[in-house]
Amino acid sequence: MNLTRDRLHSFGWAVCLVVCGALFAALTFRVNAVKSQVRLAERQIVALKQDKMLLDTEFETRANQYQLRSLNDLEFGYQAPAAGQYIEGERQLAALGKPRGPGAPAPIMVANADPLPTANFPAMISPLTGKAMAAEIPKGGAKKIAVSTSLRDRLSRVDPRPAVLASALRE
Amino acid sequence: MTSITVSTAIATGRVELANVRRTALLTAQFRALWVIGGFAMIALVALLRIAFLGVAQPASPGDDLASALLPARGDIVDRNGVPLARAFPGIALWYDPTAMGEGAPLVHGPRAVAEALVRVFPDLDVGALTARLASGKPGYLRRRILPEEANRIRDIGEPALEFPHETERFYPQGAMAAHVLGYVASDGHGRVGMEEVFDKKLTDAATRGAPAVLSLDTRVQGALEDELSKGMASSNAKGAAGIVLDVETGEVLALASLPTFNPNLIDQGGAGNIFNRFTNQVYELGSVMKPITVASAIDNGVATDMARRYPAGAPLRIDGFEIHDHENFGGSLNIPEALIHSSNIVTAQIGDQVGGERLRATMISLGFNQRPYIELPARGFPLWPKGEWARITTMTVSYGHGLAVTPLHLACAYAALVNGGIWRPATLEKVAPGVAVPGRRVWKASTSARMRQLLRLIVEDGTGRKANAVGYRIGGKTGSAEKPGNGGYNKTSVVATFAAAFPMDHPRYVIIAMLDEPQGTVATSGQRTAAWNAAPIVGRVVPRIGPLLGVMPDAARDIDISDLAPLVGNGNGE
Repeated sequence: MNLTRDRLHSFGWAVCLVVCGALFAALTFRVNAVKSQVRLAERQIVALKQDKMLLDTEFETRANQYQLRSLNDLEFGYQAPAAGQYIEGERQLAALGKPRGPGAPAPIMVANADPLPTANFPAMISPLTGKAMAAEIPKGGAKKIAVSTSLRDRLSRVDPRPAVLASALRE
Repeated sequence: MTSITVSTAIATGRVELANVRRTALLTAQFRALWVIGGFAMIALVALLRIAFLGVAQPASPGDDLASALLPARGDIVDRNGVPLARAFPGIALWYDPTAMGEGAPLVHGPRAVAEALVRVFPDLDVGALTARLASGKPGYLRRRILPEEANRIRDIGEPALEFPHETERFYPQGAMAAHVLGYVASDGHGRVGMEEVFDKKLTDAATRGAPAVLSLDTRVQGALEDELSKGMASSNAKGAAGIVLDVETGEVLALASLPTFNPNLIDQGGAGNIFNRFTNQVYELGSVMKPITVASAIDNGVATDMARRYPAGAPLRIDGFEIHDHENFGGSLNIPEALIHSSNIVTAQIGDQVGGERLRATMISLGFNQRPYIELPARGFPLWPKGEWARITTMTVSYGHGLAVTPLHLACAYAALVNGGIWRPATLEKVAPGVAVPGRRVWKASTSARMRQLLRLIVEDGTGRKANAVGYRIGGKTGSAEKPGNGGYNKTSVVATFAAAFPMDHPRYVIIAMLDEPQGTVATSGQRTAAWNAAPIVGRVVPRIGPLLGVMPDAARDIDISDLAPLVGNGNGE
């Protein structure tokens, strides 16, 4: 088979065309593969954002104003702070904390906050027994302090308290 | 001759054979051409497809993401971005009797399935549910269930019980601010509140991506509803309503009407409470209107001397009517004393001096002859005395009778009374910081300054003393108006209102608490007037919301009332 120069030329062009075509096809496939990865990532983003919205909504629902109010009424009994609990400005703040040096003249008191009353929080009431938590002493004396060293030991320890509560409820 | 014939015949046969061969060859070539053409066509189509995939296939990824995250209905949030209403993918419980194809629709039988469902939802009735399942009609068994309930129902193992995911309207705060928000009916359109007002915006694909921002503050709304419901319970009232309004912008920070309803579940009981007492019900509000009359008198130059004394010892007789006070406060009273004791007789005289025309003009400039200005669809029309006001009409209007307006009218009027005299419409949409809301001048700034002193005096020395939260400089006026009944006013059913503003040295917010038909109880010392039931509500709400709204209590600071204080003889009040 004798190849003339023209034939060799056209064969070369054909090979070139095939190689270019193959490269083009490979590039197209690669582009599409990346695009599907992007779409997959997008779907994951959408799913995650929806999850976030669901959790956010659940949080808002569980912590809505009615729930917070009943929780406060039942457990904490917090009240709005009174005027005496606010500090007027930096001067009053400074007057509260600065110790008087030895032999120093008495500071000029422009205004002063009333000393805070001793913390007088309402006692924690157990929702099951209706008694103050401090009044609940488990049967068989006060609970011993956990002395187990490993976490597994502490977790596997059986708490006697639920049984006491159940008996209190039966009463 | 014969040979010639034969050779001719052979020649003819050869020619025919050549023809046949040529035809066959042509056919073969033609067929080959078809096949090549077919392949070329397929290659061309494949090439075009590749080119299409490469060039034109996916739309820009941003659009995809945006459309996937676009809610079915836009969110509604409060002024701090706390969601009040949002589109929520809920799970429903649907009964599909055709799920198993031919034969019985249920594996375990209707009775067993109904009993299993009742174990999950104890409020369902076994008999009714059994009949429902046995009837073989598809339908919802429950519109909204929890994921854990769905899991428990899946354990029953019935293919006919399906769990379609549906976009629901969900209100995380439950019944809070229900009258402002409204609800979404089963047709997908909003009803009653801002859901109805914003319906187009919340459903349009171009605008629903961004949430609708309300002027409400969830914390303030929660505090107001909490204290109103406690006040309503302690006074055994039929209903209650209240507002917290920004005096400079007209923004409504909280608006409540009790009893309320749960927009997540509109049932028989809830449907009866949809009526909004604050914006839709008109009341003769009584004594809370007296400061408006006094302001009109000061503004028109009728009352120039706060020390001037008006006779108050005997009932006032006008055109056959008698105007009384609930008790005798002595022979005469000046304006501060008249407000402190809430004297009808003196206020009627002041109203008479102002005159029907000028008092009417003041009321019109406060919008008392129109429905209140707010976005909500539920707005009541006032009962407005028609035509020129007779002398007795002017006098009764001056102390809050003969003219019925909504409490929202009163809130906007009080805002004008304390903010320097400019009336602005109330709005439930958040106003951007720094934006000046247009309004109209009703009173001079000097009149407003005087009224701030008088209102503060009422809380310091008068009927509003139970609202005097230390350090918050509250000023306001009580009003206990008897409701009109059959042939006159009913002495036992009253509307108790306390309209207030704080802090009086620089008023920022108007707050109104109203109780509908409160009773005298042990908690209210047997009294049913506003001084004993509505004023304490305001006194408890303000310390809860003040610091949240940037009003810090300061016991060492107050509006200067030293020029008025000596005018008050015995500030004992009612």
